[in-house]
Amino acid sequence: MSDFLLTQVINYGAPLLGVILMLGGIGIPVPGTLLVIAAGAFVRQGYLTWYTTALISIVLVVIGDNISYSIGYLAREKILLRFSHTPRWIESEKFFQKWGALSVFFTRFLVTAIAIPVNLVAGTTRFPMNRFLLFDILGEVMWIFGYGGLGYIFGSQWELVNDFISNFGGFALGIILFVIGLRQARVWQLKKQSLSN
Amino acid sequence: MSSERTKPNYLFIALSVLGALFILFFGLRAFRAFKKFDGHRPPFPENLQTDVNDIEDWMTIPFISHNYGVPPDILFEALNIPDRENHKKSLKQINDEFFATQDGYVLETVRATILAHQPPAPPDSPNEPGAPLGATPPTTP
Repeated sequence: MSDFLLTQVINYGAPLLGVILMLGGIGIPVPGTLLVIAAGAFVRQGYLTWYTTALISIVLVVIGDNISYSIGYLAREKILLRFSHTPRWIESEKFFQKWGALSVFFTRFLVTAIAIPVNLVAGTTRFPMNRFLLFDILGEVMWIFGYGGLGYIFGSQWELVNDFISNFGGFALGIILFVIGLRQARVWQLKKQSLSN
Repeated sequence: MSSERTKPNYLFIALSVLGALFILFFGLRAFRAFKKFDGHRPPFPENLQTDVNDIEDWMTIPFISHNYGVPPDILFEALNIPDRENHKKSLKQINDEFFATQDGYVLETVRATILAHQPPAPPDSPNEPGAPLGATPPTTP
């Protein structure tokens, strides 16, 4: 699929790139990071212009993110019917109100694999829309200019950059999962100790 | 009741194990990619590409033509196919459509045609046309 999309991006340019990134923001699995890095290389090769590519990409990916946020927002009632009074739901709502901004920001470019779940949870927990939008835009600007910039710097060797970044994203996700697991194990241990005392 | 509350939560154990596996798997792959990536410095700010090994199956003829400075009609002529309906097709699509029995024919033909027709490199360029970036020029016996 990546090869097909790359061919279409060189044929139809920034508008198509923006649409693909928007679909990615909604939750359709597309190789967004690869295309952003490649677009940076295409800018370097004089095939795309940097400002229209960056502007269209940022606007459309932010629209996509806000659609998935809205899906979470609208699904809240159904989710509340099932989970509203469970301690875990209350805990996750509190967690998101506290760490939501950073979660939104870093999942735009560092741990992109969990960006969609974060959008949905942000909507479901009624994380303020204006704060979501602000951190979403900041994160997407980092994604487009950071990764696109690497593609620009490395030009025709952009695939090496993509190889590193996609694996680094998986590594960062592993660290997050591991830390959450350890933290919960610690909470469980403390609870056990307090009960035995 | 209390023993049930303190029962280990297997979801979090699974998360930790999964996290550790991700760290190992992607960490090793990222390290390997970094080593490869570290050996490739950003290319010189060239106007035209010279390394034909960078040409890939997903590229179109006009895109290759733009990057390597060889007019598209020369490439279409080398492949003996019309320009009009094929300029948005990737090399792979062209190969599948016109040369289905010859795997990789279009890619090889385009590379060879680029090497034969590429404009000469400017005198201060560190690369000969067709040579990989940073390659030493061939010595004549």
